[in-house]
Amino acid sequence: MKAAGSPPRWAEFILERLLISKDRRTVTGDLREEYVEAILPRMNRIRADLWYVRQVLSLAPSCASARINVHKVLRLVSLCTFVCACWLAGVESLLRHSGFVMRLGIDAAIGLVALAAILVRPLHLGIRAERCLWTGAIALIGQGTEALIRNARSTHFEGFVLVISLLLMLQGILMFFSLGRGIDTPRNAGRGIGSLE
Amino acid sequence: MAELLGTFEQAVLLVMVRLGSEAYGRAILHQVNESLKREVSAGSVYTTLDRLEARGLIISKLAEGTPARGGRPRRYYAIAADGVRALNDAHRTMTALWASIQWPAKVSR
Repeated sequence: MKAAGSPPRWAEFILERLLISKDRRTVTGDLREEYVEAILPRMNRIRADLWYVRQVLSLAPSCASARINVHKVLRLVSLCTFVCACWLAGVESLLRHSGFVMRLGIDAAIGLVALAAILVRPLHLGIRAERCLWTGAIALIGQGTEALIRNARSTHFEGFVLVISLLLMLQGILMFFSLGRGIDTPRNAGRGIGSLE
Repeated sequence: MAELLGTFEQAVLLVMVRLGSEAYGRAILHQVNESLKREVSAGSVYTTLDRLEARGLIISKLAEGTPARGGRPRRYYAIAADGVRALNDAHRTMTALWASIQWPAKVSR
């Protein structure tokens, strides 16, 4: 529910929770004003609401980086993914079930993306290299989702597949949030819209 | 010479120059969209404002809100002396770079 001519209440609520106290009322006020005076008169309600949600999403990475060190979490998750990929590759090459070569290739690709996500910042490969890894992030989210759906449809549900698929999806999302955006670098560490309290 | 400003940082600062005393978050966001003729996300603008403020290039102060904002306050921004110097440096550097080449360049086939 929302009042006529105001942005979606749930999105405004999320934005208020994301922002720190210094920016909470000013930024939400700015977006509400733009929504009411510029966006809503120009487009229909659904498109205007989508515009508002897009703005909330665009603010989320900087808010998140101000509250938690996303890159540190990414490194930890990447390490777990890398260990899982190595373990899966090891098991595949021992059991050698049909189609194991293709699965071995997928495991190797996952391991390489995880390793790249760990090393891209310490090696100072630059923002372009980080943005190249967004392709890997999409692949990881796709692979994780596919494994999750297949596991849910399977006659015997396997817990470790659920854990690994959630891990892959989490890593993909964290890669989007922390890589290629120029945040968490030594120059910008701790900054972001939410950090100047 | 001060650390060179990025293109987007320059765009935000120049919009602030144009807006003068009316430079608050929403006005800057709106004007950046108009000036660049593309939709720029609020995240990019606020993160840039935040970074410029942390570098001491701009300063901000709170003012009362309006009914359209649900009474929420506005944060007005102004360019600090270091910000003016950084803009001047950026302008000088870019002018010198452009002056050193012949433009428009011929496209070789």
